[in-house]
Amino acid sequence: MTTYTICIFTENTIGLLNRITIIFTRRRINIESLTVSETERKGVSRFTIVIKHESREEVEKLVRQIRKIVEVMAVFGYLNDEIVYNEIALFKISTPLGSKSLDVETINKKYKAWVVYWGLDYVVIEKTGNDTDIFEFFGYLKQYEILEFVRSGRVAVGKTEKGLVEYLPEAEWAYYL
Amino acid sequence: MEAIASIKPETAHAVDAAPAVGPDATYINGSHALMRCLLAEGVDTIFGYPGGAIMPVYDALYDYQDQINHILVRHEQGAGHAAQGYARVSGRAGICLVTSGPGATNLVTAIADALIDSTPLVCIVGQVGRKLLGTDAFQEADVMGVTMPITKWNYQITDPNEVPEILSKAFYIAQSGRPGPVLIDMTKSSQLELMTKPFVYERCQSLVSYRPRRIPKQEQVEAAATLINSAKRPYIFAGHGVQIAKAEAELIEFAEKTGIPVATTLLGQSTISTNHPLYVGWLGMHGNYGPNVMTDQADVIIAIGMRFDDRVTGDASKYIKQAKVIHIEIDPSEIDKIIRADAPVVGDAKEVLKALLPLVKPNDHTVWRNEFRKYDAIENETITVPELTSLDGKIRMAEVIDMLSKKTKGEAVLVTDVGQHQMMASRYYQFRRPNSLVTSGGMGTMGFALPAAFGAQVGAPDRQVVAIIGDGCFQMTLQELGTIVQNKQPVKAIILNNNFLGMVRQWQQLFHERRYSFVELQNPDFITIARGFGMDGQTCDQRDNLSDALDTLLAHEGPFLLEVIVEKEENVFPMVPAGASVSQIRLK
Repeated sequence: MTTYTICIFTENTIGLLNRITIIFTRRRINIESLTVSETERKGVSRFTIVIKHESREEVEKLVRQIRKIVEVMAVFGYLNDEIVYNEIALFKISTPLGSKSLDVETINKKYKAWVVYWGLDYVVIEKTGNDTDIFEFFGYLKQYEILEFVRSGRVAVGKTEKGLVEYLPEAEWAYYL
Repeated sequence: MEAIASIKPETAHAVDAAPAVGPDATYINGSHALMRCLLAEGVDTIFGYPGGAIMPVYDALYDYQDQINHILVRHEQGAGHAAQGYARVSGRAGICLVTSGPGATNLVTAIADALIDSTPLVCIVGQVGRKLLGTDAFQEADVMGVTMPITKWNYQITDPNEVPEILSKAFYIAQSGRPGPVLIDMTKSSQLELMTKPFVYERCQSLVSYRPRRIPKQEQVEAAATLINSAKRPYIFAGHGVQIAKAEAELIEFAEKTGIPVATTLLGQSTISTNHPLYVGWLGMHGNYGPNVMTDQADVIIAIGMRFDDRVTGDASKYIKQAKVIHIEIDPSEIDKIIRADAPVVGDAKEVLKALLPLVKPNDHTVWRNEFRKYDAIENETITVPELTSLDGKIRMAEVIDMLSKKTKGEAVLVTDVGQHQMMASRYYQFRRPNSLVTSGGMGTMGFALPAAFGAQVGAPDRQVVAIIGDGCFQMTLQELGTIVQNKQPVKAIILNNNFLGMVRQWQQLFHERRYSFVELQNPDFITIARGFGMDGQTCDQRDNLSDALDTLLAHEGPFLLEVIVEKEENVFPMVPAGASVSQIRLK
């Protein structure tokens, strides 16, 4: 199974998320993560969808079917080495009186994570990184009581020199990923 | 602050009637705006059915009766198929107008059918008022959600000011590129409320995010031409896209210049006259013997406006492995979807053929073409001739179609339903004019033919329209006889009655040891039913009377129903069994 990151540039309209996910559902492709935000261009949304698939050919077909949606301007499918990508995770750790004290220095220096909120008997730690970094940190935090753990979807930018939005006015049909 | 655990719904109120406005008012309501949009798009016919959530539009329509012909169907599915028939023969979008909830869901089959057979439809559907959305109001269904996977585009109008822009987009999207159905879900409040700015309509010419390529890239055309010029055994597959692009003349010119044999898909039939020397037959599960077998012999396949449906390819993993494939398609997502294209050409079939024509060398592939004729002889001897000439038993479907073909000189528009009769109609009708077959290909919708034939007659009033219908299919939409009679359309309908769901029975015979599981029908008296609707009809069950019966049908002034009692257990051959490769085609 190979991880693919699919970046979709669309008009910002109601229901489009549904139209896009239908294409995955119909082909029985599970979405690992999904992030939507507005781009530097107003009215243009960017979907970042991560999937795992064994067949590049099937992913190419998927990309074409997404491109076919009327409101979709451009679609790009990337392998991990073609993008810079990150996720963010929040950990809520129990810190009642008398519990094991947090080693904030290790958390900061070794794991590049930060305590972003101090509660009465808990803290919230934020960690950004790729999924491997985050799960490594998760492993480290297991020595404490983890009350909640949440991870965002992947955000990614391509490693090409052009800004992706520069493609949009021309948005040529790209045959291959 | 407390977390939001639940949301209290505000009490919803029904929308009161908006102030009355005439068609000429400056500030008009959404319904009148809709009418003006339809007129601006040149719409002359609507197939529809009124109901609660679309009543303001019907009220506006009352003022436009002189300009727009509204046809009241008997069931919304009938409106959908009639609009499809209209669109298929006229090349313009068919318009459906129905109410919310069940009105819209009844349209779903036709929308799905139109999507897979690339038929332009603009479906305008009522919806409950803005404030009632999501409250499970009376006749509220999530029609946007339901139709999202089966429309090319859909949109919910909640503000009357959106009407002109959305309608112009709808027509543009439905009719451009690869045509397809669009759906506009129009809240009752947006039908009633006044626009807050003057009505202005501009026809949509392009969209930022949707730009179908009509003119092909020159390098793609050149790559295709190089392959064609070096081909020893080239072979053209002409699909529905050729007729959608109105490229029949270009196709023939291209084929004649290069001497390349032409086969069509099911929906591609009538693109080229069946007596054209370059026409070799049609492809697919029940297509002709030669065209199927010879796909394995070709070295270059030129596929034009077709999508390598599984009924054409059989087992796609064993399909045309020996050949280079040139795929000419307006929809880029079809390229490499089933069959890898060596030379894809994205563009409108007409434009691509025009661009190819000067680049291809004149050629004459007589020897190669003659190889097809060997297989024709086998098919004739084992299937065609016996089916047409054997005098034992009841009338055969083949005889009816063959005689009809001769009596109409191949000039009629044939509208067929789905099943054995559909395949027989395709096998035996000798098409002479383009755009003469309307059938449900991709979706295989039983019940398609009667309403589609009606729509086709409305869309092509100068042509003779003949519906070929199975006894099972007929009972799915027979209520549309009422529509045909009320609108005085001279549709000629032929029921080929074998008292069976024939195609399923054939499969049960061939692949399930004759375990005939729920395929036999106890049929009503079809002629009495037709008469009940005010339509003339007659039954023919004797071979000797068939010619007279067809003459009566064709000469009759108004609509007419002819029931022909045919052989009960007739099978359609040749046949490529499902999942087999085309070379495994069976003759019996």
